[in-house]
Amino acid sequence: MEILNLLLQGFSISILPSNLAACTIGVLIGTLVGILPGIDTISTIALLLPFSYGMDSTAALIMFSGIYYGSKYGGSTTSILLNVPGEAAAVVTCLDGYPMAQKGRGGAALTVAALGSFVAGTIGVIGLTLFAPPLAQAALAFGPPEYFSLALVGLIILTKLAGTSMLKSTLMATIGVMLGTIGLDSMSGISRFTFGIDELNRGFDLSILAMGIFGIGEILTVLTESKDQSTIPSLRFRDLYPSREECRRSILPIFRGGMVGFLVGLLPGPAATISSFVSYALEKRCSKNPDQFGHGAIEGVAGPESANNSAISATMIPLLTLGLPFCGGTAILLSGFMIHGITPGPTLITQQPDLFWGLIASMYIGNILLLIINLPLISIFVQLLKTPLHILMPLVAVLTLTGAYSINNSVLDLFWIVFFGVIGFFLRQTNFEPAPLLIGIIVGPELERGLIQGLIISNGSIWGLFTRPLSGTILTLGVIFILYNITRSFRKFAHLGKEMNS
Amino acid sequence: MTEKIITVLFLLGSIIYLYLTQDLTFGTLNSPKSGFLPVLAALLAIIVTLVLIFKQRQPKKITDQPHVDWTKFIFIIIGLVFYITLFNIIGYFVATFIFLFYFLKIADTTGWLLPALLAATSATIFVLIFKYYLTIPLP
Repeated sequence: MEILNLLLQGFSISILPSNLAACTIGVLIGTLVGILPGIDTISTIALLLPFSYGMDSTAALIMFSGIYYGSKYGGSTTSILLNVPGEAAAVVTCLDGYPMAQKGRGGAALTVAALGSFVAGTIGVIGLTLFAPPLAQAALAFGPPEYFSLALVGLIILTKLAGTSMLKSTLMATIGVMLGTIGLDSMSGISRFTFGIDELNRGFDLSILAMGIFGIGEILTVLTESKDQSTIPSLRFRDLYPSREECRRSILPIFRGGMVGFLVGLLPGPAATISSFVSYALEKRCSKNPDQFGHGAIEGVAGPESANNSAISATMIPLLTLGLPFCGGTAILLSGFMIHGITPGPTLITQQPDLFWGLIASMYIGNILLLIINLPLISIFVQLLKTPLHILMPLVAVLTLTGAYSINNSVLDLFWIVFFGVIGFFLRQTNFEPAPLLIGIIVGPELERGLIQGLIISNGSIWGLFTRPLSGTILTLGVIFILYNITRSFRKFAHLGKEMNS
Repeated sequence: MTEKIITVLFLLGSIIYLYLTQDLTFGTLNSPKSGFLPVLAALLAIIVTLVLIFKQRQPKKITDQPHVDWTKFIFIIIGLVFYITLFNIIGYFVATFIFLFYFLKIADTTGWLLPALLAATSATIFVLIFKYYLTIPLP
């Protein structure tokens, strides 16, 4: 009951004109980001961070969150119509969405994807509403060893789930942790790796780094890789109606996707992408006609599209209640919080209830807005796909650089952005996933604080970290996860050896 | 090849980072100091890069990689560096106009009039938004 009252209070904040406008702008930009291939969520939020300085902090965070979950709605459009996923989480939608479009059912697939996203997105936000407050309450009892265990095991799981190679992701996360140590050590006050440069005492500016690696890096990738722009089909409003049979077949996958997405979203890593694949596999298993999958099965669109939207809400739980982001999107959202002087974590609900509940309530409103944007207005957004990338990218480059300049009015920052952009470009070229790097930089200081204080509390005994019930459980799970993966790798290696011998 | 070079650069970076941790105190398990985590992280990074280098020596399946236009890449970087350098010297509007025109031409926008018009219009809109609406002190 108390939660309901607080949520109602949140609604009263989120419907304030400035917050409602921020929510609308956020979900509109999010939809655009999702629809336009070559522009991603992280770089867009990073690009807009400096422009939010003048905004009220609640409105700014509502806008950034809107971009974050709104992008997952738009991602399905290009997957279905062009077989080009606008977002990594929409890759799996291509498998059945595009064949549906080829059969003339693209409009129906878009409608089911939008409705599924709305229902599952709302399931996710309900989960966030119900689970975040008790988790935040429990997290108040967390000590340094618990934070260390969570950060460490989170990073370990992330390295397995992000990117194509666990080793590469491990290296990226480790380098992120190393970069996170640059600047003043918060415990001893000693400057580390600053080479006497005063600006480095504050550590790396996350928005500059994200704008470089994700923004300029993406622009360089898009403009230097030769890809043909596909022909955009036209879409009429009447094409959007799904048949009664398609509606009937979509209901259960939508709800299953919502549940699966929420559970996967609680795990570290690119939850939206993983949940869509898990949901696809689940739907194929549950289907009476699994052979239809890959040839235009509506369940193959409904399930994954629902799952990725629900997962997005769940990824907000560790960020809001523990202050720990475990995917690229929440990592950059954390930067947004920090820019506005807000520290997410267990005390956020008690110290800033208006912001916390206003943000959650805005997500309910945002989901409704997204449904409106993605159904009647979808044909307008489809037209935007006709914007040539060779015109769009130079404009995005100027926006990124101007935004970066406005942070500190420093030309040096712009050189840093180009430098990080080149790094981001080469990381993409060599399949080094850049998201763990960003997360490592953010989680690194928390990991270090937890480790050092934890070791002091346990008198230097690493075993002491295992004897505390919660940190012990989390670390044991981490050890089991590592052992399981090592055993699997050995089995795979042995199997390969046998195959080569035979 | 690029992958191998990047991995070697990561290895070199990690070794340099480990070398720099000499200036910091490692401490003990009872009382870890500011060099504790950096040393552990650098060692882990070195081990992982060495394993990666070892793995990269094994023959790999050739996969279809998108073709990268390196000439375009170099020209974009040159353009970005010039833009940033000119930014403070000739002012935001002129620098943005020149940069956008150059960038649009590099990005294969056909003709001269369309890129020139696009660059002029966009630069004007950017000035109006950033300088006058958002009151960002642009040069």
